[in-house]
Amino acid sequence: MRVVYVIVFIVGIGAAIADHLASPSSGRAVSPEDFAGACAPCGAPCPSAKK
Amino acid sequence: MSVATTTQTAATAAPARTADWPFLCGAVIATALLAALVLLDGQPYSAGLILLGFALGVAFLKAEFSFTASWRRFLVSGEAGGLIGVLLLIAIASIVIVPVAASVRGFGGAIAPIGPSLLIGAFVFGIGMQLANGCGSGTLYTAGGGSGRMLIALACFIVGTVIGSLHLPAFLALGGIDPILAADYFGVWGGLAVTLASIALVGAAVIAVARRRDANFLPRRSILIGAVAIGVLTIGVFLAGGHPWSVTFGFTVWGGKLASLAGIDLASHEFWQWPGPKRALTESVLTDTSSLTDLGMILGAMAAAAASRPFARTSWPPARSLAAAAIGGLLMGWGARLGFGCNIGAFVGGVASGSLHGWIWFAAALAGCMLGIRLRPWFGLSRE
Repeated sequence: MRVVYVIVFIVGIGAAIADHLASPSSGRAVSPEDFAGACAPCGAPCPSAKK
Repeated sequence: MSVATTTQTAATAAPARTADWPFLCGAVIATALLAALVLLDGQPYSAGLILLGFALGVAFLKAEFSFTASWRRFLVSGEAGGLIGVLLLIAIASIVIVPVAASVRGFGGAIAPIGPSLLIGAFVFGIGMQLANGCGSGTLYTAGGGSGRMLIALACFIVGTVIGSLHLPAFLALGGIDPILAADYFGVWGGLAVTLASIALVGAAVIAVARRRDANFLPRRSILIGAVAIGVLTIGVFLAGGHPWSVTFGFTVWGGKLASLAGIDLASHEFWQWPGPKRALTESVLTDTSSLTDLGMILGAMAAAAASRPFARTSWPPARSLAAAAIGGLLMGWGARLGFGCNIGAFVGGVASGSLHGWIWFAAALAGCMLGIRLRPWFGLSRE
Protein backbone atom coordinates (compact mmCIF):
# COMPACT_ATOMS: atom_id res chain seq x y z
CA MET A 1 0.00 0.00 0.00
CA ARG A 2 2.93 2.34 0.68
CA VAL A 3 4.04 2.10 -2.95
CA VAL A 4 0.55 3.04 -4.12
CA TYR A 5 0.58 6.01 -1.75
CA VAL A 6 3.98 7.18 -2.98
CA ILE A 7 2.78 7.06 -6.59
CA VAL A 8 -0.56 8.76 -5.84
CA PHE A 9 1.17 11.42 -3.73
CA ILE A 10 3.77 12.28 -6.37
CA VAL A 11 1.33 12.20 -9.29
CA GLY A 12 -1.35 14.14 -7.37
CA ILE A 13 0.86 16.95 -6.10
CA GLY A 14 2.73 17.03 -9.41
CA ALA A 15 -0.55 17.36 -11.31
CA ALA A 16 -1.76 20.19 -9.05
CA ILE A 17 1.50 22.10 -9.50
CA ALA A 18 1.60 21.46 -13.27
CA ASP A 19 -2.02 22.60 -13.63
CA HIS A 20 -1.28 25.75 -11.64
CA LEU A 21 1.77 26.61 -13.73
CA ALA A 22 0.05 25.86 -17.04
CA SER A 23 -3.31 27.55 -16.36
CA PRO A 24 -4.28 31.19 -15.95
CA SER A 25 -5.04 32.40 -12.44
CA SER A 26 -6.91 35.69 -12.34
CA GLY A 27 -6.63 36.91 -8.78
CA ARG A 28 -8.16 35.68 -5.53
CA ALA A 29 -9.45 32.13 -5.21
CA VAL A 30 -13.19 31.98 -5.69
CA SER A 31 -16.14 29.67 -5.24
CA PRO A 32 -18.84 29.29 -7.94
CA GLU A 33 -21.17 31.08 -5.48
CA ASP A 34 -19.22 34.27 -6.08
CA PHE A 35 -20.68 34.62 -9.58
CA ALA A 36 -23.87 36.53 -10.31
CA GLY A 37 -26.96 34.33 -10.47
CA ALA A 38 -25.40 31.44 -8.55
CA CYS A 39 -27.84 29.78 -6.19
CA ALA A 40 -25.74 26.88 -4.85
CA PRO A 41 -22.14 26.03 -3.94
CA CYS A 42 -21.69 24.52 -7.43
CA GLY A 43 -22.96 27.66 -9.18
CA ALA A 44 -26.37 26.30 -10.21
CA PRO A 45 -28.88 29.05 -11.04
CA CYS A 46 -31.96 29.74 -8.92
CA PRO A 47 -35.23 28.12 -10.01
CA SER A 48 -36.81 31.60 -10.26
CA ALA A 49 -34.13 32.68 -12.72
CA LYS A 50 -34.95 29.81 -15.06
CA LYS A 51 -38.65 30.64 -15.34
CA MET B 1 -11.80 0.41 7.03
CA SER B 2 -12.04 3.68 8.95
CA VAL B 3 -9.03 5.59 10.17
CA ALA B 4 -9.98 4.55 13.68
CA THR B 5 -9.66 0.90 12.68
CA THR B 6 -6.51 1.57 10.70
CA THR B 7 -4.99 3.34 13.66
CA GLN B 8 -5.87 0.52 16.02
CA THR B 9 -4.48 -2.12 13.65
CA ALA B 10 -1.27 -0.20 13.11
CA ALA B 11 -0.91 0.45 16.83
CA THR B 12 -1.24 -3.26 17.56
CA ALA B 13 1.32 -4.17 14.93
CA ALA B 14 3.77 -1.45 15.89
CA PRO B 15 3.91 -0.73 19.60
CA ALA B 16 6.59 1.95 19.18
CA ARG B 17 5.01 5.31 18.29
CA THR B 18 7.62 6.39 15.78
CA ALA B 19 7.17 9.03 13.13
CA ASP B 20 7.20 7.96 9.49
CA TRP B 21 9.59 10.68 8.40
CA PRO B 22 9.41 10.31 4.58
CA PHE B 23 5.62 10.74 4.56
CA LEU B 24 5.63 13.37 7.32
CA CYS B 25 8.26 15.45 5.52
CA GLY B 26 6.58 14.87 2.16
CA ALA B 27 3.24 16.15 3.44
CA VAL B 28 4.77 19.21 5.11
CA ILE B 29 6.97 20.07 2.10
CA ALA B 30 4.06 19.65 -0.34
CA THR B 31 1.89 21.93 1.83
CA ALA B 32 4.65 24.55 1.95
CA LEU B 33 5.15 24.26 -1.81
CA LEU B 34 1.46 24.78 -2.61
CA ALA B 35 1.25 27.69 -0.16
CA ALA B 36 4.37 29.25 -1.68
CA LEU B 37 2.92 28.97 -5.20
CA VAL B 38 -0.22 30.91 -4.29
CA LEU B 39 1.77 33.42 -2.26
CA LEU B 40 3.94 34.05 -5.34
CA ASP B 41 0.67 34.98 -7.08
CA GLY B 42 0.01 37.46 -4.26
CA GLN B 43 -2.84 35.43 -2.72
CA PRO B 44 -2.38 35.24 1.07
CA TYR B 45 -6.00 34.14 1.59
CA SER B 46 -5.42 31.16 -0.69
CA ALA B 47 -2.38 30.19 1.37
CA GLY B 48 -4.57 30.59 4.44
CA LEU B 49 -7.13 28.17 3.00
CA ILE B 50 -4.42 25.56 2.36
CA LEU B 51 -3.17 25.89 5.94
CA LEU B 52 -6.70 25.82 7.39
CA GLY B 53 -7.36 22.67 5.35
CA PHE B 54 -4.15 21.19 6.75
CA ALA B 55 -5.32 21.98 10.30
CA LEU B 56 -8.72 20.45 9.55
CA GLY B 57 -7.03 17.25 8.37
CA VAL B 58 -5.07 17.09 11.63
CA ALA B 59 -8.16 17.85 13.74
CA PHE B 60 -10.39 15.29 12.02
CA LEU B 61 -7.75 12.56 12.22
CA LYS B 62 -6.73 13.19 15.81
CA ALA B 63 -10.33 13.47 17.05
CA GLU B 64 -11.44 10.58 14.79
CA PHE B 65 -14.38 12.85 14.01
CA SER B 66 -16.78 10.90 11.82
CA PHE B 67 -20.15 11.94 10.45
CA THR B 68 -20.73 8.49 8.94
CA ALA B 69 -20.08 6.43 12.08
CA SER B 70 -21.96 8.84 14.36
CA TRP B 71 -25.05 8.78 12.11
CA ARG B 72 -24.86 4.98 11.88
CA ARG B 73 -24.55 4.57 15.66
CA PHE B 74 -27.54 6.84 16.14
CA LEU B 75 -29.68 4.94 13.63
CA VAL B 76 -28.64 1.46 14.78
CA SER B 77 -28.49 1.82 18.55
CA GLY B 78 -29.63 5.34 19.41
CA GLU B 79 -26.11 6.30 20.57
CA ALA B 80 -26.08 10.06 19.96
CA GLY B 81 -22.77 11.39 21.31
CA GLY B 82 -21.23 11.80 17.85
CA LEU B 83 -24.31 13.45 16.40
CA ILE B 84 -24.46 15.90 19.30
CA GLY B 85 -20.80 16.71 18.58
CA VAL B 86 -21.72 17.48 14.96
CA LEU B 87 -24.55 19.78 16.08
CA LEU B 88 -22.16 21.57 18.45
CA LEU B 89 -19.74 22.11 15.56
CA ILE B 90 -22.53 23.62 13.43
CA ALA B 91 -23.73 25.85 16.28
CA ILE B 92 -20.22 27.25 16.78
CA ALA B 93 -19.82 27.96 13.06
CA SER B 94 -23.26 29.57 12.77
CA ILE B 95 -22.46 32.19 15.42
CA VAL B 96 -20.14 33.88 12.92
CA ILE B 97 -21.45 32.69 9.55
CA VAL B 98 -25.10 33.79 9.87
CA PRO B 99 -24.46 37.42 10.87
CA VAL B 100 -21.39 37.98 8.68
CA ALA B 101 -22.95 36.38 5.58
CA ALA B 102 -26.08 38.47 6.03
CA SER B 103 -24.47 41.82 6.72
CA VAL B 104 -20.88 42.03 5.45
CA ARG B 105 -20.21 42.75 1.80
CA GLY B 106 -18.10 40.10 0.10
CA PHE B 107 -19.37 37.25 2.27
CA GLY B 108 -22.20 34.84 1.57
CA GLY B 109 -23.80 31.78 3.11
CA ALA B 110 -24.17 28.28 1.70
CA ILE B 111 -27.53 28.33 -0.05
CA ALA B 112 -29.25 25.96 -2.46
CA PRO B 113 -32.58 25.51 -4.22
CA ILE B 114 -35.10 23.19 -2.54
CA GLY B 115 -36.60 20.57 -4.81
CA PRO B 116 -36.36 17.01 -6.16
CA SER B 117 -32.68 17.37 -7.01
CA LEU B 118 -31.79 18.17 -3.39
CA LEU B 119 -33.90 15.31 -1.98
CA ILE B 120 -32.72 12.66 -4.45
CA GLY B 121 -29.08 13.76 -4.27
CA ALA B 122 -28.95 13.78 -0.47
CA PHE B 123 -30.72 10.40 -0.23
CA VAL B 124 -28.28 8.77 -2.67
CA PHE B 125 -25.38 10.43 -0.86
CA GLY B 126 -26.58 8.88 2.40
CA ILE B 127 -26.53 5.39 0.87
CA GLY B 128 -23.05 6.00 -0.49
CA MET B 129 -21.57 7.29 2.75
CA GLN B 130 -22.54 4.12 4.61
CA LEU B 131 -21.14 1.86 1.89
CA ALA B 132 -17.91 3.83 1.56
CA ASN B 133 -17.71 4.31 5.33
CA GLY B 134 -16.94 7.99 5.03
CA CYS B 135 -18.53 11.19 3.73
CA GLY B 136 -16.80 14.04 1.86
CA SER B 137 -14.56 15.18 4.70
CA GLY B 138 -14.26 11.62 5.99
CA THR B 139 -13.04 10.39 2.61
CA LEU B 140 -10.45 13.19 2.51
CA TYR B 141 -8.97 12.60 5.93
CA THR B 142 -9.05 8.81 5.87
CA ALA B 143 -7.55 8.68 2.37
CA GLY B 144 -4.94 11.21 3.50
CA GLY B 145 -4.46 9.26 6.73
CA GLY B 146 -3.30 6.09 5.02
CA SER B 147 -6.43 4.06 4.21
CA GLY B 148 -5.97 2.56 0.75
CA ARG B 149 -9.65 1.58 0.78
CA MET B 150 -10.62 5.24 1.03
CA LEU B 151 -8.19 6.14 -1.73
CA ILE B 152 -10.42 4.03 -3.98
CA ALA B 153 -13.53 5.69 -2.55
CA LEU B 154 -11.99 9.11 -3.31
CA ALA B 155 -11.19 8.17 -6.93
CA CYS B 156 -14.75 6.92 -7.47
CA PHE B 157 -16.17 9.97 -5.62
CA ILE B 158 -14.40 12.17 -8.18
CA VAL B 159 -15.81 10.14 -11.10
CA GLY B 160 -19.29 10.29 -9.53
CA THR B 161 -19.24 14.08 -9.19
CA VAL B 162 -18.38 14.50 -12.87
CA ILE B 163 -21.24 12.18 -13.89
CA GLY B 164 -23.50 14.10 -11.49
CA SER B 165 -22.45 17.40 -13.06
CA LEU B 166 -23.77 16.15 -16.41
CA HIS B 167 -27.12 15.10 -14.87
CA LEU B 168 -27.73 18.06 -12.52
CA PRO B 169 -29.37 20.43 -15.06
CA ALA B 170 -31.97 17.77 -15.96
CA PHE B 171 -32.82 17.23 -12.29
CA LEU B 172 -33.05 20.98 -11.68
CA ALA B 173 -35.55 21.13 -14.53
CA LEU B 174 -37.89 18.97 -12.42
CA GLY B 175 -38.64 22.10 -10.41
CA GLY B 176 -37.98 23.61 -7.02
CA ILE B 177 -38.04 26.81 -5.05
CA ASP B 178 -35.38 29.41 -4.35
CA PRO B 179 -33.24 29.11 -1.19
CA ILE B 180 -34.89 30.01 2.12
CA LEU B 181 -32.57 31.85 4.52
CA ALA B 182 -33.52 32.58 8.14
CA ALA B 183 -31.81 35.98 8.02
CA ASP B 184 -34.01 37.04 5.07
CA TYR B 185 -37.13 36.50 7.17
CA PHE B 186 -36.00 37.38 10.69
CA GLY B 187 -33.10 39.80 10.16
CA VAL B 188 -29.46 39.24 11.03
CA TRP B 189 -29.75 38.50 14.76
CA GLY B 190 -33.23 37.01 14.51
CA GLY B 191 -31.88 34.70 11.81
CA LEU B 192 -29.04 33.64 14.10
CA ALA B 193 -31.50 33.04 16.96
CA VAL B 194 -33.74 30.91 14.72
CA THR B 195 -30.72 28.96 13.44
CA LEU B 196 -29.44 28.24 16.96
CA ALA B 197 -32.97 27.35 18.09
CA SER B 198 -33.35 24.90 15.21
CA ILE B 199 -30.04 23.25 16.14
CA ALA B 200 -31.14 23.06 19.80
CA LEU B 201 -34.50 21.59 18.76
CA VAL B 202 -32.88 18.87 16.67
CA GLY B 203 -30.38 18.25 19.49
CA ALA B 204 -33.24 17.82 21.97
CA ALA B 205 -35.01 15.41 19.61
CA VAL B 206 -31.79 13.40 19.16
CA ILE B 207 -31.29 13.22 22.95
CA ALA B 208 -34.92 12.17 23.43
CA VAL B 209 -34.44 9.30 20.95
CA ALA B 210 -31.21 8.25 22.69
CA ARG B 211 -32.86 8.26 26.13
CA ARG B 212 -35.83 6.30 24.86
CA ARG B 213 -33.48 3.67 23.48
CA ASP B 214 -31.45 3.73 26.69
CA ALA B 215 -28.36 4.86 24.79
CA ASN B 216 -25.62 7.36 25.55
CA PHE B 217 -26.00 10.91 24.23
CA LEU B 218 -22.94 12.57 25.77
CA PRO B 219 -20.06 13.10 23.33
CA ARG B 220 -16.75 11.66 24.47
CA ARG B 221 -13.95 14.11 25.23
CA SER B 222 -12.12 13.75 21.89
CA ILE B 223 -15.37 14.43 19.99
CA LEU B 224 -16.04 17.57 22.07
CA ILE B 225 -12.52 18.88 21.48
CA GLY B 226 -12.77 17.96 17.80
CA ALA B 227 -16.15 19.68 17.42
CA VAL B 228 -14.83 22.91 18.95
CA ALA B 229 -11.60 22.82 16.92
CA ILE B 230 -13.37 22.00 13.63
CA GLY B 231 -16.06 24.59 14.37
CA VAL B 232 -13.43 27.30 14.85
CA LEU B 233 -11.53 26.18 11.73
CA THR B 234 -14.81 26.22 9.77
CA ILE B 235 -15.18 29.87 10.78
CA GLY B 236 -11.59 30.45 9.63
CA VAL B 237 -12.32 28.92 6.20
CA PHE B 238 -15.42 31.10 5.92
CA LEU B 239 -13.51 34.28 6.75
CA ALA B 240 -10.62 33.42 4.38
CA GLY B 241 -12.77 32.21 1.49
CA GLY B 242 -15.85 34.41 1.78
CA HIS B 243 -18.18 31.36 1.81
CA PRO B 244 -18.74 28.40 4.13
CA TRP B 245 -16.35 25.49 3.75
CA SER B 246 -17.23 23.10 0.93
CA VAL B 247 -15.54 19.91 -0.22
CA THR B 248 -17.13 18.25 -3.22
CA PHE B 249 -16.95 21.00 -5.85
CA GLY B 250 -13.18 20.57 -5.68
CA PHE B 251 -13.63 16.89 -6.62
CA THR B 252 -15.77 17.95 -9.59
CA VAL B 253 -13.07 20.35 -10.74
CA TRP B 254 -10.35 17.68 -10.43
CA GLY B 255 -12.46 15.18 -12.34
CA GLY B 256 -13.42 17.76 -14.94
CA LYS B 257 -9.80 18.66 -15.57
CA LEU B 258 -8.78 14.99 -15.83
CA ALA B 259 -11.67 14.29 -18.21
CA SER B 260 -10.67 17.26 -20.37
CA LEU B 261 -7.09 15.99 -20.36
CA ALA B 262 -8.40 12.64 -21.61
CA GLY B 263 -10.10 14.42 -24.50
CA ILE B 264 -13.67 14.36 -23.12
CA ASP B 265 -15.51 17.54 -24.07
CA LEU B 266 -17.22 18.77 -20.93
CA ALA B 267 -17.35 22.43 -21.92
CA SER B 268 -20.38 21.84 -24.14
CA HIS B 269 -22.48 20.53 -21.22
CA GLU B 270 -24.82 22.94 -19.43
CA PHE B 271 -23.23 22.57 -15.97
CA TRP B 272 -19.82 23.51 -17.31
CA GLN B 273 -21.25 26.59 -19.05
CA TRP B 274 -22.38 28.15 -15.76
CA PRO B 275 -19.89 30.92 -14.86
CA GLY B 276 -18.41 29.25 -11.75
CA PRO B 277 -17.72 25.78 -13.16
CA LYS B 278 -16.63 27.26 -16.51
CA ARG B 279 -14.00 29.39 -14.79
CA ALA B 280 -12.89 26.54 -12.55
CA LEU B 281 -12.33 24.25 -15.54
CA THR B 282 -10.06 26.70 -17.32
CA GLU B 283 -8.23 28.40 -14.46
CA SER B 284 -5.63 26.98 -12.08
CA VAL B 285 -6.88 24.40 -9.59
CA LEU B 286 -5.30 26.58 -6.90
CA THR B 287 -7.83 29.35 -7.59
CA ASP B 288 -10.76 27.18 -6.48
CA THR B 289 -11.45 27.58 -2.75
CA SER B 290 -12.67 24.02 -2.16
CA SER B 291 -9.64 22.52 -3.96
CA LEU B 292 -7.32 24.52 -1.69
CA THR B 293 -8.89 23.23 1.53
CA ASP B 294 -9.25 19.70 0.10
CA LEU B 295 -5.56 19.47 -0.79
CA GLY B 296 -4.61 20.94 2.59
CA MET B 297 -6.85 18.47 4.41
CA ILE B 298 -5.36 15.42 2.67
CA LEU B 299 -1.85 16.62 3.45
CA GLY B 300 -2.74 17.54 7.06
CA ALA B 301 -4.20 14.09 7.70
CA MET B 302 -1.14 12.49 6.09
CA ALA B 303 1.20 14.52 8.29
CA ALA B 304 -0.80 13.77 11.45
CA ALA B 305 -0.93 10.04 10.68
CA ALA B 306 2.74 9.82 9.70
CA ALA B 307 3.79 11.80 12.80
CA SER B 308 2.63 9.07 15.16
CA ARG B 309 2.96 5.72 13.39
CA PRO B 310 4.28 3.96 10.29
CA PHE B 311 2.19 5.27 7.39
CA ALA B 312 0.00 3.04 5.18
CA ARG B 313 1.51 -0.21 6.48
CA THR B 314 -1.80 -2.08 6.68
CA SER B 315 -2.79 -4.63 4.07
CA TRP B 316 -5.58 -4.14 1.56
CA PRO B 317 -9.05 -5.13 2.78
CA PRO B 318 -11.09 -7.89 1.06
CA ALA B 319 -12.37 -7.31 -2.48
CA ARG B 320 -15.99 -7.00 -1.30
CA SER B 321 -15.01 -4.16 1.02
CA LEU B 322 -13.15 -2.44 -1.83
CA ALA B 323 -16.24 -2.84 -4.03
CA ALA B 324 -18.34 -1.14 -1.32
CA ALA B 325 -15.82 1.71 -1.23
CA ALA B 326 -15.99 2.09 -5.01
CA ILE B 327 -19.78 1.94 -5.23
CA GLY B 328 -20.14 4.19 -2.18
CA GLY B 329 -17.75 6.71 -3.69
CA LEU B 330 -19.65 6.79 -6.98
CA LEU B 331 -23.00 7.22 -5.20
CA MET B 332 -21.63 9.97 -2.96
CA GLY B 333 -20.15 11.82 -5.92
CA TRP B 334 -23.34 11.67 -7.96
CA GLY B 335 -25.47 12.49 -4.91
CA ALA B 336 -23.25 15.38 -3.86
CA ARG B 337 -23.65 17.10 -7.22
CA LEU B 338 -27.43 16.67 -7.28
CA GLY B 339 -27.78 17.46 -3.57
CA PHE B 340 -25.54 20.56 -3.67
CA GLY B 341 -22.76 19.18 -1.52
CA CYS B 342 -21.92 16.72 1.23
CA ASN B 343 -22.10 16.77 5.03
CA ILE B 344 -19.82 19.80 4.96
CA GLY B 345 -21.06 21.96 2.06
CA ALA B 346 -24.75 21.14 2.33
CA PHE B 347 -25.37 20.13 5.97
CA VAL B 348 -22.77 21.99 8.05
CA GLY B 349 -22.51 24.96 5.65
CA GLY B 350 -26.24 25.09 4.95
CA VAL B 351 -27.45 24.91 8.54
CA ALA B 352 -24.66 27.20 9.79
CA SER B 353 -25.80 29.74 7.18
CA GLY B 354 -29.41 29.53 8.38
CA SER B 355 -30.49 27.95 5.08
CA LEU B 356 -33.43 25.56 5.21
CA HIS B 357 -31.87 23.29 2.59
CA GLY B 358 -29.28 22.18 5.18
CA TRP B 359 -31.94 20.52 7.35
CA ILE B 360 -33.74 19.03 4.35
CA TRP B 361 -30.41 17.59 3.14
CA PHE B 362 -29.83 16.13 6.62
CA ALA B 363 -33.24 14.43 6.72
CA ALA B 364 -32.91 12.98 3.21
CA ALA B 365 -29.32 11.83 3.77
CA LEU B 366 -30.29 10.21 7.09
CA ALA B 367 -33.00 8.26 5.24
CA GLY B 368 -30.40 7.22 2.67
CA CYS B 369 -28.11 6.09 5.50
CA MET B 370 -30.85 3.76 6.76
CA LEU B 371 -30.85 1.99 3.40
CA GLY B 372 -27.06 2.09 3.19
CA ILE B 373 -26.74 0.43 6.60
CA ARG B 374 -29.04 -2.39 5.41
CA LEU B 375 -26.81 -2.88 2.35
CA ARG B 376 -23.53 -3.00 4.29
CA PRO B 377 -23.65 -6.75 5.13
CA TRP B 378 -23.79 -7.54 1.37
CA PHE B 379 -20.22 -6.27 1.25
CA GLY B 380 -19.03 -7.92 4.42
CA LEU B 381 -19.35 -4.73 6.46
CA SER B 382 -20.86 -4.61 9.92
CA ARG B 383 -24.13 -2.77 10.53
CA GLU B 384 -22.71 -1.37 13.75
